[in-house]
Amino acid sequence: MDRLEQPLPCISVHSLTGCAGEELVILENLQKALPLVRVVSFPFAQSANEMRPVDIAFVEGSVSQPHDLEKLKAIRATARWLVAVGNCAVWGCVQGGVCRRFTPEQMARDVYGQDNQIAALPSAPLDKYVRVDVKLSGCPIDAGQFLSVLASLLKDHLPYITHKPVCLECKLKENGCVLVEKNLPCLGPITAAGCGALCPTFGAACYGCWGPCEAPQMEAMEIVLKEKGYAIDEVISRLTAFGIPQEIYSRDKPLELKVSRQ
Amino acid sequence: MEQCFTFEKEQFPLFFEAMSEHGTVLAPVRVSEQSFAFRPVSSAGEIAFEALRTILPPKKLFYPQRETILGYEGRTIEERKPDVKPQVLFGVHPCDLAGLGVLDAIFSSDPADSHYLARRKATIVVGLSCMPDRYCFCNSVGTDSPEKGYDVFLTDIGGSYFARVNSPAGLQLLQSRPGLMQPASGDARQQYKDFWVNRDRAFQIGFKSGNLPAIVDMEWDNPIWEELGQRCLSCGNCTPVCPTCYCFDILDVASLTGDSGERVREWDSCQFSGFAQVAGGFNFRPGPVDRLRFWYRHKLHGFEDAYGFPTCVGCGRCTVSCPAGIDDIVGVVLRLQGGQDGQGGEER
Repeated sequence: MDRLEQPLPCISVHSLTGCAGEELVILENLQKALPLVRVVSFPFAQSANEMRPVDIAFVEGSVSQPHDLEKLKAIRATARWLVAVGNCAVWGCVQGGVCRRFTPEQMARDVYGQDNQIAALPSAPLDKYVRVDVKLSGCPIDAGQFLSVLASLLKDHLPYITHKPVCLECKLKENGCVLVEKNLPCLGPITAAGCGALCPTFGAACYGCWGPCEAPQMEAMEIVLKEKGYAIDEVISRLTAFGIPQEIYSRDKPLELKVSRQ
Repeated sequence: MEQCFTFEKEQFPLFFEAMSEHGTVLAPVRVSEQSFAFRPVSSAGEIAFEALRTILPPKKLFYPQRETILGYEGRTIEERKPDVKPQVLFGVHPCDLAGLGVLDAIFSSDPADSHYLARRKATIVVGLSCMPDRYCFCNSVGTDSPEKGYDVFLTDIGGSYFARVNSPAGLQLLQSRPGLMQPASGDARQQYKDFWVNRDRAFQIGFKSGNLPAIVDMEWDNPIWEELGQRCLSCGNCTPVCPTCYCFDILDVASLTGDSGERVREWDSCQFSGFAQVAGGFNFRPGPVDRLRFWYRHKLHGFEDAYGFPTCVGCGRCTVSCPAGIDDIVGVVLRLQGGQDGQGGEER
């Protein structure tokens, strides 16, 4: 009897409310993965898309509209592994953080007028609504981390994703510290690494786009930035701009950032 | 086998040539307004002779920030040998020589770290004298005199360098340029001694280290730890910059195709919350207070038990690198010595 050829693992790439930055990174690097997977759905990059069960679904963007939620539930129901890619999907990003002080109704009214047809939800990360197997943060994600997540999941291993702070990557590169030397409001100490300390390497302050590192010391960060002369409002707004939830302020209780499989 | 020579500073380019002949010369260069780093240099003009402390200590040249230690393919595992080339490390100050001495002891004890030792063996170390700034306190921890760990040590005696030789390789280096070295004259020897006496007087901060291990244990519950821990960012900056911190993490990096991959080791830090977390989620040092106190103890006392020496070498790197200003080792020691009220302690 002829041996049946093993079918390639199937993946899909979807976007909710986001800037498509993750999709661009995935598209740019897809060639490396193409011999190993079949892409059954990637509306951003191909015209023939099927909604069928997949081994791995990559989802970018936050849940900010009712149709995002419907789509997410359908993706979850048909995916073996659901990977949240990018800060929007993992933390809610600016639409979750900066906009937190307004209600969706108020924003819709102010932007689109009284009689608008906008149906908006308070912007939220994917895990508010569905089980998320792997969270890969970034704004946008790092190509190397994306490929290593893919490599691990294709072998049915949970990937290792670092949650150590940006400061580690910065120091290993032997950069001068912009927080110490230039008194810039660098959020490297509380932000998850993975970007290779990109901004500080070019002399700019980290603005926290990767989301919090493991056990971020928010109070200490606040103290240090305040002492450098930054107003408390500005400090808080920097700290929460990328969707970091308020609960993170609780000290000494390491935030569970591990891959969760409820 | 201590031998002493002098050579004029104007002749330094000749000395640089001799170093280059041996291999890549690594020396401090300026990388920002306030910072320096050991980098490969191709001429004497690139060297920042004024550098007191580099961002990362010279340990990075023997124990790199990230290196592949083995590769695997299917069921075959192969050790990756380090790419070792002859090199000359120039401009190492006494604190960093002491730091290398601590790492030598750690990495050569069983099981020895072959990568570290191979790189160390292929390197000629040229020390250089320095004058302390307001963060230096090597004289408080006994690392202020260059005692070992170098091949040649240069002391700046004004118009010349006074060169002490401590190994056959060092002697060969000095003798490779005929006529460059003069045997140290009586005057030069006097200038050398004067330099070190003056240097000893130039320290601006310090403490008496007697009884320190006992005091660190005694003050385990001192409120100072809570006070400093409240400010601790757990950013881990204090550990990569420390000449004697050597903890690493091991990561397996799978390739996208096939069953191959690499095992990588990368510097880690005891200041990260995941460092002391074990299976099941239990964490031996869950908060920044626990982690900071642990690090202080390790630097000031922890190594006495196993190796018989403390590991702080007084370079001041942690003090200048800490964004929260809590790695003021001298200030903390003085407060611990003064007891609970933080008063007293005997300044040098």
